[in-house]
Amino acid sequence: MHRSSVFFRLATLLFCLCLGWWFWKGIEALEHTGTLTGPAVHYVARAAEETGASNLVSAILFDYRALDTLGEATVIYTAVCGIAMLFSRSKYRKSSTGLSFIVKRGLGFVIPFILLYAAGIVLMGHLTPGGGFQGGAVFATMTILFCIVYGSNFEAARINPKIKEFIESTGAVMFTLIGLVGLIAGAGFLANSAAGFPTGRVGSVLSGGTIPLLNIAVGMKVGAGLSTIFYSMVKLLEVKYEDAVEVDRP
Amino acid sequence: MIKLSYATAIFIFCIGLYTIISKRNLFKTVIGLAIMESAVLLLIVTSGYIPGGVPPLLPMNGVAVNPLPQAFTLTAIVIGASDVALALALVIKLHRRYGTVDLDKIRGLRG
Repeated sequence: MHRSSVFFRLATLLFCLCLGWWFWKGIEALEHTGTLTGPAVHYVARAAEETGASNLVSAILFDYRALDTLGEATVIYTAVCGIAMLFSRSKYRKSSTGLSFIVKRGLGFVIPFILLYAAGIVLMGHLTPGGGFQGGAVFATMTILFCIVYGSNFEAARINPKIKEFIESTGAVMFTLIGLVGLIAGAGFLANSAAGFPTGRVGSVLSGGTIPLLNIAVGMKVGAGLSTIFYSMVKLLEVKYEDAVEVDRP
Repeated sequence: MIKLSYATAIFIFCIGLYTIISKRNLFKTVIGLAIMESAVLLLIVTSGYIPGGVPPLLPMNGVAVNPLPQAFTLTAIVIGASDVALALALVIKLHRRYGTVDLDKIRGLRG
């Protein structure tokens, strides 16, 4: 049966509609109690005094379930390794010369604020919504902007891929070492206040024990990892080289 | 209101599934995968909602929504981003080898 035939499309549509109806029946059978259930009751009631973080999602992610987060960081590492391995043979080509002078200067003004925003998201992860993953994604956005606006040659010359690899590995090693400190203190892998880390006063910047440190480690890891993924993909693009209208060296 | 959110999640999931099954272009298949992922994220976040709940940030004025599904969603977003990136990398390699991203034209995958 050919995929573009009308009959195939109708059959697919019918299949999807039936599946959707089946899902809807399952959702209707769920009961909504309107109260917290399971481990969430303990987290909401006790997270502030046990971890010192005022953002409960951060407290769950980096304290109660920090081992999950370590596994998640490993998933990014595996994806980066896979993509780098797939494109390892391909050579670097000059893919673009960047955009016009106005855009380059404009980005030059904006870059410090983007850096500050990303650093704020990472460092305040235990107080406000945010954290290592989000802040790292903003860092990666900045390198992608460099690549688009100044051309990929500039990005490769200023931010060495080796340095990105080093930053990513440092993040992973830092995460594991902080976990091992808890193990040495006799409280278990990735233990926070039980291992003697000071939790501080809830709401101040220096609070949360290991949570800000883990945020920084994850931020380094995610930022360098996403940037490496983009860089590996973009070095393949074969854009026809054209002379730049105006040549400037930012 | 919570039923509407669930219905939206199911609808988006079905759109993604239809995209994956019916499209021959491999890039569109990867986009369908991303759409399905976002539907699952919406479903997970909705399952932790409490009517009239406030965000799980201290100080809380009222009953907080369940923070556990939100933490899971953060995990799922990162994993989704990395597997979409890996799938796109494979598509780029296929395009370099066969010169096309059409499933029917790629040798060995003709169906």
